[in-house]
Amino acid sequence: MNVSTQLAPEQQLSGSQILIEALKRNGVTDFFGYPGGTIMPVYDALVGSGLKHYLCRHEQGAALAADGYGRVTRKPGVCMATSGPGATNLVTGIANAFMDSVPMVIITGQVPSALQGTDAFQEVDIFGITLPIVKHSYIVREIADIPRIVDEAFQLAQSGRPGPVLIDLPKDISAGTGTWVDAPPPSLPAAPTADVEALKKASEMLSTARRPLVIAGGGIAISDSVEVFREFISRAGLPVTATLKGLGVMPTDDPSFVGMLGMHGNGAANHAVQNCDLLMVVGARFDDRATGHLAQFAQSARVIHLDIDPAEISKLRKADLAIVSELAPALEGIQPENKARPTWVAQCEAWKKEFAWRYDAPGEGIYAPKLLRDMCRVRPDDMIVTCDVGQHQMWVAQHCKFNDPLEHLSSGGLGTMGYGLPAAIGAKVAKPESTVVCVSGDGSIMMNVQELATLNRYGIDVKILLFDNSALGLVRQWQEIFFEGNYSEVHLDDNPDFAGVARAFGIQARSVKEPEEAASAVEWLLNSEGAAMLHVSIDSMENVWPLVPPGKANHRMMKANPVRGK
Amino acid sequence: MNHTLHIQLSSVEGAVIRALGLIERRGFSLVKCSVSELDGAVRDMEVTVSSTRPGDLLKRQLERLHDVFTVELKPVASTQKQQPGIRPVTRRI
Repeated sequence: MNVSTQLAPEQQLSGSQILIEALKRNGVTDFFGYPGGTIMPVYDALVGSGLKHYLCRHEQGAALAADGYGRVTRKPGVCMATSGPGATNLVTGIANAFMDSVPMVIITGQVPSALQGTDAFQEVDIFGITLPIVKHSYIVREIADIPRIVDEAFQLAQSGRPGPVLIDLPKDISAGTGTWVDAPPPSLPAAPTADVEALKKASEMLSTARRPLVIAGGGIAISDSVEVFREFISRAGLPVTATLKGLGVMPTDDPSFVGMLGMHGNGAANHAVQNCDLLMVVGARFDDRATGHLAQFAQSARVIHLDIDPAEISKLRKADLAIVSELAPALEGIQPENKARPTWVAQCEAWKKEFAWRYDAPGEGIYAPKLLRDMCRVRPDDMIVTCDVGQHQMWVAQHCKFNDPLEHLSSGGLGTMGYGLPAAIGAKVAKPESTVVCVSGDGSIMMNVQELATLNRYGIDVKILLFDNSALGLVRQWQEIFFEGNYSEVHLDDNPDFAGVARAFGIQARSVKEPEEAASAVEWLLNSEGAAMLHVSIDSMENVWPLVPPGKANHRMMKANPVRGK
Repeated sequence: MNHTLHIQLSSVEGAVIRALGLIERRGFSLVKCSVSELDGAVRDMEVTVSSTRPGDLLKRQLERLHDVFTVELKPVASTQKQQPGIRPVTRRI
């Protein structure tokens, strides 16, 4: 149904009705939010509008659900909240989307224009608060501007390097009346195209390199360039590592893939990076968790940096050759010779063999990495894993198998504990045909545990795999290693009965702690009807290995001691 | 080192503070700043900033802002030591 045809010229509409209409014209069908005082006119116009609103139980949950929705659809996820605390509760979700370049449109209620700047009830300057964490933002001052601003916001959020765009809507605008004013098409800067000479130069550099390596970053998924990238790798015959957000760009089992690099990366990837003589970085930004000590990162390599964002070039590591372009056309234009490099290939293979993950850890309890590996052996083809943040997040990155980057939703830049469950809600709403598994920890799950109510309210079929080590595991690990075992505020021996909590929210749940129970419990989780939680107790002293200590070079990885838990 | 940037930007609400906030946040200390209105829609801003970071990086970061139309970078010789209060270039651990 084309709603726009229902609008008669000069028809008087409320600002909220115009907003809802503008959202629809931008393709919105589902969004996430929480009502309150100043956004009430919009919620009034929502009734009967045909838009599906998901009431999350905390605004942060709504923003992170919009993030999950935006990641898997590559279209802006939409969230909405009232002014004051509603708006400030969105902030973590907005920052999360900003750091990971996720398209998102955020609509906040605001006190009436005449009261702005008077410390009115539930007034905060959310426009000011979010300036550092949005791609752009608006305060609506005229009802007639709403269609233009909404159109621009959606275009900006998903064009170029995507990001969150905030629209602050004073109540006099949302409650006032006016007419629909057609907006001219938004004028946005054209996407950058690669310099032909630079592409030629890249081809030459790759052809003559003796030990080339490619880093696949999150930008490849964001720009929907996975197939072009794989074709490029296959044609050029290059080994590939990936950042956390680049996992799945190459299938985990692909012979050219040497694993994830960085702080908790695979030894093969880190040694390949440190020993390569040419590093081609595609859609990645040299985050410190990926590079380790920057000055010692890939010291003997020249760098080709391909990215759509000119501000990323030479921000941290000087690029010997910069290609600012949409990724796919640039990758198509780089035509290096596929040279045999038997020594380098053999070396990469040897590292892969040497640093292959082991699952024979001593200990009597369930070993989380093994459980994750085994889950991926029986996983359905169409599975999305969302993560919280901590040890379990790193184990997912290390031990799960991904065939596509959109199968792995992880809070990379911001590292937001509490991301997993709302992101899973957003992903499942966007892709109801997929099996969505939220892998969480006993620390993280409590950050947005209220969203269990959202699962139950809408019958959203999310599977929660909860690893419980009765600790804030990654912080505990750092205190063990870097703070001489001086444990401070990391023990969670007083955790609630998580399965009981889930059941109280109407979610079926099971608890397991014996290794022999693990396989059947995972099978139960994946095949259960509707939302379910599998609560898995694990050793509280288990660590994530390897670990590059902060500020050290990537080849200086710490490895597990032979005695597990030390 | 000091850098002077000539910025033309939209006169919409928030554009100036967005640009100034970015400058400080990205590790550049404001030494001098003037803003004037060219016409109803465009403002002209000239800033001198001090930083150990390269000025062309700040230029590219400013150019990303939707409100910013053009940025011109004019290098100037540093005549004084680092401004007090400059944010050091450190990396988080």
